[in-house]
Amino acid sequence: MSFKKYLSIALTLLVVLATFAGCAAPAAAPAAAPAAEEAAATEAAPAEAEAAPADASAPVKVGVTMLFDDRWLTDMREAMQAYGAAQPGVEVTFVDSKEDVAVQLGQVENFITQGVDAIVVVPANTDATDPMTQAAVDAGIPLVYVNRKPANLPEGIAYVGSDSIDAGIMQMEWIAEKLGGKGNIVIMNGNLSQEAAQMRTAGVKQVAENFPDIAITKEQSGNWQRDEGLALMENWLQSGDQIDAVAANNDEMAIGAIAAIDAAGKLGEIIVGGVDASADALAEMDAGRLDVTVFQNAVGQGEGGIATAIALARGEPVEQVVWIPYELVTPENYKDYMK
Amino acid sequence: MDQDNVLVMEHISKSFPGVKALSDVHLTVRRGTVHALMGENGAGKSTLMKVLIGMYIPDEGSISFLGNPVKIENTQQALRMGISMIHQELSPEPYMTVAENIYLGREPVGRLGLIDKKKMVADTRALLERLEININPNAVMRTLSVANTQMVEIAKAISYDSSLIIMDEPTSAITEREVAQLFRMIRTLREQGVGIIYITHKMDEVFQIADEITVLRDGQYIATVPAAQTDRNSLIAMMVGRELTNLFPKEDAPIGEVVLSVRNLTRNGIVHDVSFDLRRGEILGLSGLMGAGRTEVIEGIFGIKPIDAGTITIMGKEVQIKSPTDAIRHGMALLTEDRKLTGIMGVLSVRDNMMIASLESYAKAGFLNKKIINETCAREKTRLELKTPSMDQLIRNLSGGNQQKVLVSRWLLTVPEILILDEPTRGIDVGAKSEIHRLMSKLAQEGKAIIMISSELPEILGMSDRVLVMHDGRVGGEFARKDATQENIMRAATGQGEVAAV
Amino acid sequence: MAVKASAETQSKSQTWERINGFLNKYGIVIILLAMFIAFSLLSEGFFTTRNIFNIIRQISFMGLIAIGVTMVIITGGIDLGSGSVLALAAVVATSLAQIQTSATLKYPGLIVPVIVPIGAALAIGALTGVINGSLIAKFKIPPFIATLGMMTVARGFALIYSNKPLSQLTPEYNFIGQGEIFGVPFPVIILITVAILAHIMLNNVPFGRYIYALGGNEQAARISGVNIDRVKIGVYTIAGLLSGLAGLVVSSRVGSGQPGQGVGIELDAIAAAVIGGTSLSGGIGTIWGTIVGALIIGVLDNGLILLNVDQYWITIVKGSIIVVAVIIDQRKNR
Repeated sequence: MSFKKYLSIALTLLVVLATFAGCAAPAAAPAAAPAAEEAAATEAAPAEAEAAPADASAPVKVGVTMLFDDRWLTDMREAMQAYGAAQPGVEVTFVDSKEDVAVQLGQVENFITQGVDAIVVVPANTDATDPMTQAAVDAGIPLVYVNRKPANLPEGIAYVGSDSIDAGIMQMEWIAEKLGGKGNIVIMNGNLSQEAAQMRTAGVKQVAENFPDIAITKEQSGNWQRDEGLALMENWLQSGDQIDAVAANNDEMAIGAIAAIDAAGKLGEIIVGGVDASADALAEMDAGRLDVTVFQNAVGQGEGGIATAIALARGEPVEQVVWIPYELVTPENYKDYMK
Repeated sequence: MDQDNVLVMEHISKSFPGVKALSDVHLTVRRGTVHALMGENGAGKSTLMKVLIGMYIPDEGSISFLGNPVKIENTQQALRMGISMIHQELSPEPYMTVAENIYLGREPVGRLGLIDKKKMVADTRALLERLEININPNAVMRTLSVANTQMVEIAKAISYDSSLIIMDEPTSAITEREVAQLFRMIRTLREQGVGIIYITHKMDEVFQIADEITVLRDGQYIATVPAAQTDRNSLIAMMVGRELTNLFPKEDAPIGEVVLSVRNLTRNGIVHDVSFDLRRGEILGLSGLMGAGRTEVIEGIFGIKPIDAGTITIMGKEVQIKSPTDAIRHGMALLTEDRKLTGIMGVLSVRDNMMIASLESYAKAGFLNKKIINETCAREKTRLELKTPSMDQLIRNLSGGNQQKVLVSRWLLTVPEILILDEPTRGIDVGAKSEIHRLMSKLAQEGKAIIMISSELPEILGMSDRVLVMHDGRVGGEFARKDATQENIMRAATGQGEVAAV
Repeated sequence: MAVKASAETQSKSQTWERINGFLNKYGIVIILLAMFIAFSLLSEGFFTTRNIFNIIRQISFMGLIAIGVTMVIITGGIDLGSGSVLALAAVVATSLAQIQTSATLKYPGLIVPVIVPIGAALAIGALTGVINGSLIAKFKIPPFIATLGMMTVARGFALIYSNKPLSQLTPEYNFIGQGEIFGVPFPVIILITVAILAHIMLNNVPFGRYIYALGGNEQAARISGVNIDRVKIGVYTIAGLLSGLAGLVVSSRVGSGQPGQGVGIELDAIAAAVIGGTSLSGGIGTIWGTIVGALIIGVLDNGLILLNVDQYWITIVKGSIIVVAVIIDQRKNR
């Protein structure tokens, strides 16, 4: 069965590759690197500055290990793919980590054996990155973590991503303002074994604490899924308690909540916030049903990750931590995010 | 005085919800004797034995073993005390070797706690040699024949060097030759002072081997008698509570035209060139030793296994039978040998079990007519004197005889012309047995053609109009009723019968 | 004296047996009723028409799969591919039911009547079932392995077909999951209809009895003239078809077909069947039992959320109920 699983994923990848070979992306290239650089925030600490002389055209092989079966990460993967393809002499290989720590470590070891010039990792578990870090350091191959920040990030190892807690903070600040600092909030968590869910919820709570008249009355996990968000909201509405706003960890659950609110005839009475600014979410906003979402820049993170990896491989100086900021998406500016 | 007795069980009672399985039962087994335990299915023999080996705890009563009062709480304890049992239903570990099976749970252990395989195999070989059983200790159980599996089971029970050995239907799956061998072993054990409890339905064996007989009926203790002072008829009377006048009531039936004609049936390596005819109103007995190919011929005719050569003609028309479905369509019915493995569907109701083969004839516009089905079931229940609280009862809760009646009913409902009955009375009690024999006679009189496979010679001799004897995958002899004798059949079955053939 | 005493024990043990028999047969219904009463007392919003419909709608797609899985388990098999087949059917169906302004439009310019996506989902479901059934019947592959293969292959095809959710669907399509007829949610109607049809098929059609016969004793059924291969292929095809139907219901309910949908739903469905008294060794099981099993899972989820019980406890309670159900089942079969 394992073979079949590999095969089906390999086939998926093949189709994706074919698609992008056909229609993607040279246009993305010039914008990307500067975006990453501009976005680079503080925490400056030059990594690998002493490395070999810069050679802007030397061929570079980059190995990427990340989860494939996730919509947002797929957007990011496509951005990485496109960005890599647009750089002369750069070859990017992807493998599916399947959200399994052991599989991922094996893949990093394989990359090292294959002699790649840089490794990009979206960690399966942010608390279990040390063996991978150690393997890369021992082999002298630059390593870049993307999207999920390892709990332990030693000097010389780069990270490109957004700070999950910011998403929760931005979402909740907007909701609190809309509520006039008063009301009952319910939280829909993503999969709570993941940092993104924990930190987004932490951000929401952090803001809520500043408002004595805002109460968090309910909190359950919808596992990132639309149908679970829908069922959860139906059940909450059924409890009869007053609900003034929904802070969902992602858009899918928020859209589910909207469907339940609509069915209960309470559209417009409850503020709904999501995270991701997915196409579906923007369409909901366009229809006046979703109030706020937060854009996590998949393209920015993907391009930033590959750009950092290439730079490290070529011995160019980079920031150790590159923050790609979240952006608040509201009915005022959502059209900018529609493709 | 007590030292003469291996086992004394007194006033044993055991109830299950709704059933009093044993009520004030006694059993005394003397040292160095074979004690037959008899009774119809459901009489309480198995329950009593399960009490003895610690699978059930009795509600009342006392057990004394080797002169000491004991409480037996589990089978391991019984084994340690010196009580071992040959179970009727074989339960070997199919992927283990003979030696591993025999020493399962008490493997000889060498240094470092590892199993001493060499010793285990050597011990097994010695054991099998002592018992004159010709089986390789390293053979994997699943490759053995049923008879050999049974012999391993017997060897295993003996290997515990127990003071008391319980043998529950030990001959149900072995041939005459092996029965003789078993009886030799039993006699040796008897001389060594071992007590043996022998459970069987076969009268002949009882009178051959038993010293004393205890009879149970409906959970009650009936009597204990010395075997030498009783006879078949009074024993049966004690078991069923009435005299059975005729055990094999085959009545005359007009014999008509040929309905089934098999020519040169061959299954490579198993069945060679078998030909015979079967007529309306006739019971054709199919005899032979275990492994002679009787069941294998039937499998070929009924489409269970493919045949390599030969023709089958039914009602004068040659037919192709590729599956049981084809066979049933051509008016055949097959009551299989192993009720549990290929007969009953244990967790299904009596009704489902009865209707399965004829279900489609009770469907109208695709839907089953429940009313007619229930009427049919009720009629069958009366006709076969089926004892079941309701048709919704799970068939596995019925006694063996009643299960067999349901299966007979299953096939009669397909309105077959040709009935093939493979060991139709194996493992069922005397009462049910004679009912099934009566039914066979009646069916023959109605013009059905019947093939009956049986390993019991008296049954073959009593029921058959004609006897076909198989030997080594071939027809070894054929006898008309008047010519069929025990000696003739045995000669043909052992390959010396060609001369005697009709 | 003694006679009287034994008569008393007799009647006592009969009463006990009767109670035991009743519990064996209706134990899970009693559990469900007890849960209903408890939640009704603890939460005002629980025992209302709206909430009851909510619960049934929430279990509708899992329930559909559970009905198919019940039949498969009765034959002595298992189906692990349901969740993936659901996802595959969902993405294909939704790709044929998107409105032209959809941001994720897969086939620009394609406008087909709603029967096309419905037919496509059911056909895909049935096809996967035929493949499962043929592998199991003709190639003698154990059901566990065959359907485990289908689980990964169908998920792969779903991702190949679309690696992102396909959303913004036509109102006709969304009616399947969101519509109501005379105030009754359409998914509820679908589930009840399918359950009744399945019950009739299992009890009043020869094919249904063959399903039980197959699980009761495959050899005996074959010798009794049952076409084993046809029953196997048939039963997996029905299970696949119902997975496809579940894909339609879930995607129209949330207005989006998602390739990652339904992971683990087959295990919930198997749990519902087992809670409802279906025996994993085959031959035993009823549709009404499975529906009660699915309701128990649904009521637990719903009621515990209404009571604001911590989310982790919900999973613990669910798991415990499954184990208890199997213990009861084992006792019954002893």
